[in-house]
Amino acid sequence: MKKINKKVHIKQKFHKEENISGWLFIAVAMIIFFVFTLYPVISAAITSFQKYKPFGSDWVGWSNYSDAVTSPLFWKSIKNTVLYTLAVVPMSLLLSFAISVMILPFRKKTQSVFKALYYLPGIASGVATAVVWLWLYDSSPSGIFNRILGLFGISSVNWLSSSKTAMPSLILMALLSSHGSNIIIYMAALHGIDNTYFEAAEMDGATFMQKIRYIVFPLCKPTTLFLLVTGIIGSFQVFMNAYMMTGGGPDNNTTMVGLLIFNNAFSYGKYGLACAQAIMLSIVIAFLTMLQFKVMGDDVEY
Amino acid sequence: MKMKKVLAAALTGLMVLSMAACGDSGKSSKEDTITIMVPPVTGTYVEDLQGWIEEYRKDHPNITVEVIATSWDEHTNKLSTMALAGEAPDIAEVSYGAVGTYVEMGVGVNIADYMSKERLDDYDQNALDYMTMDNTLYGLPLYITIQALGGNREMLEAAGADVQKIQTQGWTYEEFLEVIKNGTKEGCFGFVFANSGATTADFVSIFGVAAGISSNFTQDLKYVYTSENMLSLLQAVETMTTSGYMPNYSVEAGQRLVMLETGQTMLTGKAMPLFESNVKKNIAGKADGSAVEGTIDMEYVFLPVPTMANATESVYGVVDGLIALRNNNTTEEHLKNVCEFMDFLSSGERAAAVDNAVYLSSVCESGRKAQESFTLDQSDLNAAAVERAITKVIAPPAGITAEMNANAKTMMDETIVPKFQALLAGETTAQEVYDTICKDAKNLFGEENCASGWIK
Amino acid sequence: MASGLYSQHLNNRKLYYIRQVVLVVFLVLFALISLFPIVYMIAWSFGPAIEAASTSYSIFPKSWSLDSYKAFIDYNQYSLRWLFNSLVVAVFTVLGNVIFAGMAGYAFAKINFRGRKVLFFMVLVAMMIPYQVTQVPLYILIVKQFKLTNTFAALILPGICTSYNIFLSKQFFSGIPTALIESAKIEGCGHLKTYGLIVLPLSKTILAVMAINTFLSSWNNFFWPFLATSTDRMFTIQVGLKTFKFANGTLLSPMMAGACISAIPMFILFFSLQKYFLEGVTVGAVKG
Repeated sequence: MKKINKKVHIKQKFHKEENISGWLFIAVAMIIFFVFTLYPVISAAITSFQKYKPFGSDWVGWSNYSDAVTSPLFWKSIKNTVLYTLAVVPMSLLLSFAISVMILPFRKKTQSVFKALYYLPGIASGVATAVVWLWLYDSSPSGIFNRILGLFGISSVNWLSSSKTAMPSLILMALLSSHGSNIIIYMAALHGIDNTYFEAAEMDGATFMQKIRYIVFPLCKPTTLFLLVTGIIGSFQVFMNAYMMTGGGPDNNTTMVGLLIFNNAFSYGKYGLACAQAIMLSIVIAFLTMLQFKVMGDDVEY
Repeated sequence: MKMKKVLAAALTGLMVLSMAACGDSGKSSKEDTITIMVPPVTGTYVEDLQGWIEEYRKDHPNITVEVIATSWDEHTNKLSTMALAGEAPDIAEVSYGAVGTYVEMGVGVNIADYMSKERLDDYDQNALDYMTMDNTLYGLPLYITIQALGGNREMLEAAGADVQKIQTQGWTYEEFLEVIKNGTKEGCFGFVFANSGATTADFVSIFGVAAGISSNFTQDLKYVYTSENMLSLLQAVETMTTSGYMPNYSVEAGQRLVMLETGQTMLTGKAMPLFESNVKKNIAGKADGSAVEGTIDMEYVFLPVPTMANATESVYGVVDGLIALRNNNTTEEHLKNVCEFMDFLSSGERAAAVDNAVYLSSVCESGRKAQESFTLDQSDLNAAAVERAITKVIAPPAGITAEMNANAKTMMDETIVPKFQALLAGETTAQEVYDTICKDAKNLFGEENCASGWIK
Repeated sequence: MASGLYSQHLNNRKLYYIRQVVLVVFLVLFALISLFPIVYMIAWSFGPAIEAASTSYSIFPKSWSLDSYKAFIDYNQYSLRWLFNSLVVAVFTVLGNVIFAGMAGYAFAKINFRGRKVLFFMVLVAMMIPYQVTQVPLYILIVKQFKLTNTFAALILPGICTSYNIFLSKQFFSGIPTALIESAKIEGCGHLKTYGLIVLPLSKTILAVMAINTFLSSWNNFFWPFLATSTDRMFTIQVGLKTFKFANGTLLSPMMAGACISAIPMFILFFSLQKYFLEGVTVGAVKG
């Protein structure tokens, strides 16, 4: 703090200009952010200490938090969410990175076609996609996946209604439908790497894998960091898939924290508890995010 | 009534005198807007509603009604959000099970305060009981849906069932088991119950009556799913799935009727009397190609759920109705208007129109009267079975509090349904499921509030 | 450009072709797998316009027709308006994000103003609160305070400048060498000029990426539009599609037809922005 003050003092005039233009640049974004994002967040944080009622809430101190912590289902849902995240996020990043690299050596036209093909699953309406996936995963012998397995003489799988396969089914679904925009972001980053790097490496006799490791990886790090951070945030908050596909079952094996929060808020009228769970979830996410920035972001703040 | 008006006028006069201008203190002709939120209760409900609003406004030109139409899937979520925001619609369609949530939130309205005794007397007490919590009436019933089983008559008879006897006298669980055993063939299940996702709860409630469980709480207000009756129910499910009479995978709600229509199952649930109309329409659709692929000719029969030894026969009933909700604009005068309009929609021809559409008889005198002129396209036997079933519906005991209700809902969603799903998938045993339910229920309700032993 | 990652195998063209073929085969195979659900969606959009459940489905519809497209349009007098509503919402959301989030991202990355760390930290933290619990206060704000139910403003405003996009643009602008901006400043450019004349032209790719992803998420957003609208006239396409699902069955083919129609604007946008995706991000362009 002291150091900053000193700096400000020395370059006061310069900083004044910087301050003004900085604030002007972020003015609109921040007004929108304060009103439509921060206000609801703070409001939710306050509610987490209340037994919420629309007309006159009661303050209950930390009891929503203690309720959350002592509920085995809350921990089970955290466990499910962590499992899901561990399976989906790294795999999805690796897949999109690999595909982006594989698309790279083709002509622009071909690249466009592939990118479009991979982006397509993301375009489809979420509502309609869920209906299609439910039908693919239909556990009866007439379900599409089961019919395909049947062609190979494999007996029907109880996709979404067995504890063993429900979570893997959701993971498979996420892996097959979430890489479109990752690929596009990675492609943009890959295209930004200048050829001179590779030329120099080529002259040193670097192999393909060496180029990936020593040039592509480091230069894509900001992109990877961004995708990783937003991917984990998104994955920790996920609930639509469980909500539409399994309802959290069987035996709460696909109950995500997001779904639990949603149910508490909208089905059980325990909005205060939902807020407390949401705040706790955010703390977990914040911790993980900080960790990622620490490990990966030596060149970026936070 | 007259007295009240005089009083109001006098008060108005007083207020005008004393405060010069303070607006009128609510004469009944004051402009008022009522919002109502409904899912498509019947196929044409939202359109019908517009007509009824017009009709109502003839006598009440000062009332404007705003309709918010939702879809079945998301009705509850939207209603909760609005209620939590303090912006609930004045009137909303709910199933009786959800009433407690809104009462807990503090947005429920004791409508008996705003309605005359004569108007309330129009409704059947049995149906009003469903909308009552903690001895306070929160809403008006539209109908009691009886939810039980539906089947293919020819197949049932081939499997040795005396359909007419079952429809008029009920059947035992042993008879039922024998029939579905005989009815299970290659490519055709004896019994299919839609049980995927949230519909699992339906299975527990509807088939629960087989073991004599008709409500979440016993008559002396103890939590019911810890009784031995529940263990028997779970064991029955275990038998049915492991023996292959019933699929051991989950069946989507939309599939059960199709499976019945295409001969992939002999019996199905949950089934409503209305399915007779669905089945007939589908068969008729074979001519123009609008029928489900593989439709077979069949006669639909509505059947009660079987009863186990030592259990009292009952039928699972659900009351759907309208409730009044409090929001930021709510004033006493407004609530009066709201309740009057709600009463208008829940009685007479309006109720009759809804009840006819779902093949049920009205739960209010005026509705039944309006229904007299209407004949359902229903077989006599089904009609008799429905009539008998309605008499077997047992309303939940009086005195259940909103908190008990909320806890029961949590138990159902967070323990019973998940464990039940595991049981259906053959991953656990009836005994294990029962033990878990007992453990969780005792934590939530306290051991003294949980039923034990066999309840008759 | 990054094509230098791959050896051109100039002295062994055979090897080059083999590699290309192997890559194509792999890419096509994986594309087919991920497109599987979409193929079904498209195929069944040509199926019969009747209520159905999956036990009755064959893998592909027996008869193909445009009935379901007609049924989708006739289903509600506002069916096509839903598409229009979605379009209006998505376009304004994209514009807002590209302009405001872009500027904010630049400021957070390259302008050393007071409070920047704290504000950016707040933006990041706000992303971490699950949206399920912020919907209620947001609803109170939009409906109770601003009285905006059933307006485009209610549909657009909450998403017009998201934390995600501020983060995205900040992350990419950080990669522009500060030297470039310093030199612009020495030549007398203010930040606005630097941003408009030097940074923006270098950032088309990232803005295009932001545009397409924002459009996509706005287009597919369901819960908020569902809360913020109460008349079918103001539904967005996602809210409308949900009405094709009933308690006892789904109007499957018309729903799929609607989903297919609703994918068309996305597709057009994707291809019209396509050329920007290939331009490369600033980082390299500047360093080279």
